[in-house]
Amino acid sequence: MSISALWAAYGSEYLQALLTTWKLTFFSFGMAFVLGILITVARVSPIIPLRRFGDFYVQIFRNIPGAALLILLVYAFPKLKLLFPYATCVLIATTLIPSAFCSEYLMSGMNMIEKGQIEAARALGMSFLQMIRRIIIPQALRYSVLPMTNLLVATMLTTALGSTVPMVPRELTGLVSHINTHATGGVTAFVISAAFYCATAVLIGFVGSRIDRKVRILR
Amino acid sequence: MSKNNTSIRDFLYEEPGPKTRTWIRIGTGIALVLLAWLIYAVIDRFNVTGQFREKYWIFFTRWTTWRFLGEGLLTTLRVAVTAGAITFALGFLLMRARLNRHTVIWRISAGIISFTRGVPTLLFVYFFFLVFPKTGIKLTGFWKITLPVAISACGVVAEALRSGVNAVPKGQREAALSLGMTERRSFYRVIFPQAFRFVIPTLIAEMVIVLKDTTFAYIVSCADLMQNAKVLISNYDALVSIYLVVAVIYILINYGLNKLSDSLARRGGTMESRRAKA
Repeated sequence: MSISALWAAYGSEYLQALLTTWKLTFFSFGMAFVLGILITVARVSPIIPLRRFGDFYVQIFRNIPGAALLILLVYAFPKLKLLFPYATCVLIATTLIPSAFCSEYLMSGMNMIEKGQIEAARALGMSFLQMIRRIIIPQALRYSVLPMTNLLVATMLTTALGSTVPMVPRELTGLVSHINTHATGGVTAFVISAAFYCATAVLIGFVGSRIDRKVRILR
Repeated sequence: MSKNNTSIRDFLYEEPGPKTRTWIRIGTGIALVLLAWLIYAVIDRFNVTGQFREKYWIFFTRWTTWRFLGEGLLTTLRVAVTAGAITFALGFLLMRARLNRHTVIWRISAGIISFTRGVPTLLFVYFFFLVFPKTGIKLTGFWKITLPVAISACGVVAEALRSGVNAVPKGQREAALSLGMTERRSFYRVIFPQAFRFVIPTLIAEMVIVLKDTTFAYIVSCADLMQNAKVLISNYDALVSIYLVVAVIYILINYGLNKLSDSLARRGGTMESRRAKA
């Protein structure tokens, strides 16, 4: 099928799918970011059980394959009488996995801060919360712009998991496999989706490196 | 992951005074209660839905179960290692092209790199699954999963190798050239061996992504760990236990790889291991 014929037949569905991918990506990323911050707070807290729990959480979701997590959510959870719609399962999977990576990036961002700065803050008489707010968080965030940019792209790639379950509405990958199993979209069908993915990734990368250049701490 | 052994959480706090120590103790108590409740809730959930019944777990004591899962795991590892080798070769070629002086060549390479980095693995998998058969080229299930996984990872590998090459001091190349080596010889004999050592941790971390991506093998019905788990599930009618065990197997392998990568990165002490793709 030529690209124009394909676009005439499925154009609106493609735009719909692009929108779904975007929505899923940004919702997941937003929630993953909040969750990642909470987990990071737990991991640096002085309360040992919380630290252990945070470390455990990160190791689980950093290392589980997305497909395995989604299969557990979709097929195993109903057996435990926890039934979610497909879209919710996908959203949970694409949130939990990036949240673990988010916490890892924040931790390594914080680890870039030198010990001397914390000692200096203490010597200046800053309280613990002041130190967190004025010294740790600003620097950790500035160090993690590029990792977060990569994480946003990675989250977008993870949302392709939505194609392995009958999720409605379809996202970009699911639409392509739908077109190709019901009609002969051929290579063109893939090219359109791939172009949308790439354009989004390039855009995210561009904005991310712009922000990074502005806020990067030069050593 | 930190480059060094000490983490910020080890020197974030001053030595706590008596008051703070009391607070920490109270917090620890509350946290322990909450975590205990969480564990209880999970166990209770399994219990009330009857997932602890013997018939869901008894077959794990049989050797055949583990042999079957082991065969699947072996296929998974074969796919991962083959894909890893292919992606390294592709990544190396892309890196060489990316560092080429000719604008056309490096532009094309840069384009391919951002393409593979921006497109989800699943799209490549569906491509090999749905479109390739129509071209008349017959691929086995093994290659239908190995090739897309390899292609999807090669861009990241190329960028990792390139950052390694860039991390080698300029003087190394100049010294090699002044000794009379050709550009090619200085690259293969002097620059690349050093660059490769820098990026070994990153490459191992990339293997985690490759291994995760191989789980899509069930789509092309290649008999990997996931696919064999499915067969077991239909044999024993025990879904939750089998999928849980399989997930734990994947997590343990990836955990081991990540630990290896971190410890190598610490020992090398040269580069932060980067994970560009999740």
